[in-house]
Amino acid sequence: MRSIIYYVREFLRPEWLKTFFFARTAPLETPSYFKGYPARTEKECTRCLSCMMICPAPGAIAVLRKKDQWGPEIYPGHCIRCGLCVEACPEGVLSSGRILDVTRRDGTAFWSWYHLQVDDSLCMRCGNCCVSCPVNREIDPQLGATGTSSSDEVIMRIEGGRVTILHEEKCTGCKTCEINCPNRAIRVARMVEGVQGEEAEA
Amino acid sequence: MIVKDAVCPFCGCLCDDIEVEVDGDRVVAVTNACELGTKKFMGEKRLKNPILRDGDAWKDITYDEAARYAAGMLLSAERPLLYGWSGTHGEAQCVGVHMAELVRGVIDNTSSVCHGPSILAIQEVGHPGCTLGVVKNRADLVIYWGSNPIDAHPRHLSRYTRYAEGFFLDNAFRDRKVIVVDVRKTETANIADEFVQIKPGGDYAVLSALRAIVRGKTETIPRTVAGVTREQLVRVANLCKGAKFGAVYFGLGLTMTRGKYKNIRNAIELVSELSRHTKFTISAMRGHYNVYGSNEVNTWMTGYPFGIDFSRGIAFYNPGETTAVDILARKECDAALIVGSDPAAHFPRKCLEHLAEIPVVQLDPYPNATTAFCNVQIPVAVTGIDAVGTAYRMDGVPIRTRQVLSSGYPSDREVLLKMYTLMQEGKGQ
Repeated sequence: MRSIIYYVREFLRPEWLKTFFFARTAPLETPSYFKGYPARTEKECTRCLSCMMICPAPGAIAVLRKKDQWGPEIYPGHCIRCGLCVEACPEGVLSSGRILDVTRRDGTAFWSWYHLQVDDSLCMRCGNCCVSCPVNREIDPQLGATGTSSSDEVIMRIEGGRVTILHEEKCTGCKTCEINCPNRAIRVARMVEGVQGEEAEA
Repeated sequence: MIVKDAVCPFCGCLCDDIEVEVDGDRVVAVTNACELGTKKFMGEKRLKNPILRDGDAWKDITYDEAARYAAGMLLSAERPLLYGWSGTHGEAQCVGVHMAELVRGVIDNTSSVCHGPSILAIQEVGHPGCTLGVVKNRADLVIYWGSNPIDAHPRHLSRYTRYAEGFFLDNAFRDRKVIVVDVRKTETANIADEFVQIKPGGDYAVLSALRAIVRGKTETIPRTVAGVTREQLVRVANLCKGAKFGAVYFGLGLTMTRGKYKNIRNAIELVSELSRHTKFTISAMRGHYNVYGSNEVNTWMTGYPFGIDFSRGIAFYNPGETTAVDILARKECDAALIVGSDPAAHFPRKCLEHLAEIPVVQLDPYPNATTAFCNVQIPVAVTGIDAVGTAYRMDGVPIRTRQVLSSGYPSDREVLLKMYTLMQEGKGQ
């Protein structure tokens, strides 16, 4: 009972009532660093799909064709406004907040490659991945013809009792190896790294 | 030291493009081989010397003592069984046949429990087969029936069928179709273009249905045949008829299920039926690297491929009577020589009960399940690793295996010759 009276007295103090009801706050306005949903610029989309590949939110972006013109479409209900698509687009097709200005000022970009990983405990070394890989077949026709590796320039080959990845950088991410692996032992992952300066221009 | 173009002595693919890195008397790395081949090349824990059972323990003996024991055992036996032979080279198999003839024994190889039925069917209706090279260079449709090459012949697809470039195909990899027929979704089925799942034991019915469809009698087919829908059967039949060159490879899923050799006969007849529309071949997925060679050697020496009984003084062949499982199950044989196989891991219990009661000598580099049943085990060199010898690939192509290291172990042929000489002396020849 005493505590109730205490609370009523406390909240009926004119000082408290004044600060509570007549508080002076800064007017609500959009800060300069605010990122809205990505919006189209006038730049032309080349359908490289970098935006779709980097998007972390499922179903947030799709590159669609409208009258012979490809372009990204943002789905606001799914988009989390992280701005990665804006940053990843090499053409600057999308813009959001000051992301484009900052990347231009700092000279930053995303650099991506494909990472191949083989689970040795699942792999039978049947050689399907090495032989089916279109890049391997071009580099080493003998590998494509008989499964016999004769070149060290291939992306991967059966060496020393396991699938050895020799030239990951040559992978184009087509995933032929992944599709033709009977044991799901090989996985292709697209890796992305932020780079700055000369690396970004390259 | 790196040995190039070594031959892998594991499965019937007999890959001859293996690179083996050897350090002294040890294999340190294997390139190009599959998991199975790599493990065979890198194998460790071999027996050091021949061992003789001495009560509950093993006693080390010399090769001469072991050969004398084996020769004595075979000479004193009434009905000796000489079994195995698939995991050794052709030259040793020759000696084996001579031995069997000398002691009037029964010589049988592992095909009596694997592709024996295939041979019976071939004896009935012939073998429209071809070498793997033909399939590689021409086939645009490959059917794996009751076999799972990814587990048993891992490089079969990448080296000979699905993925290899073909000389007469512009885009072999894109153009080739693979159909897998099995009772369960195997690893090979994961990469097949069409997977036909049949109920266990339904192979004969499905083959008959396909034959009927190819003959143009689709309306006689019920809605499902052994769990396969009529639509799928028609699709498969059309794929086969539409192919320029088709190849069927079948495994123990077809030979050792209900129907046995009748299944193979039906499959061969489906293939000849399809050959009226296009070119089709059929071949067996032979397991051991030289099981085909064992059939070849037996055939050219005795006239019969397996299960040969010399008790009459001449070669007599009657599968079901003169094959290892039957002879053991009837408790007929009173001594057994096992070479390059592991019956204890594969034979029915009844046979093993008898095997445990008779004297058994085994030639094998490694302790295995049969070791528990033998009186003497003689470690030998492994053909293709520390011994040379001829082996036959699954398509009947003989390939001379290479020696990649020297270990000091005698080869199968040397040990068997020693026994054979002793046996000849014992017989007074």
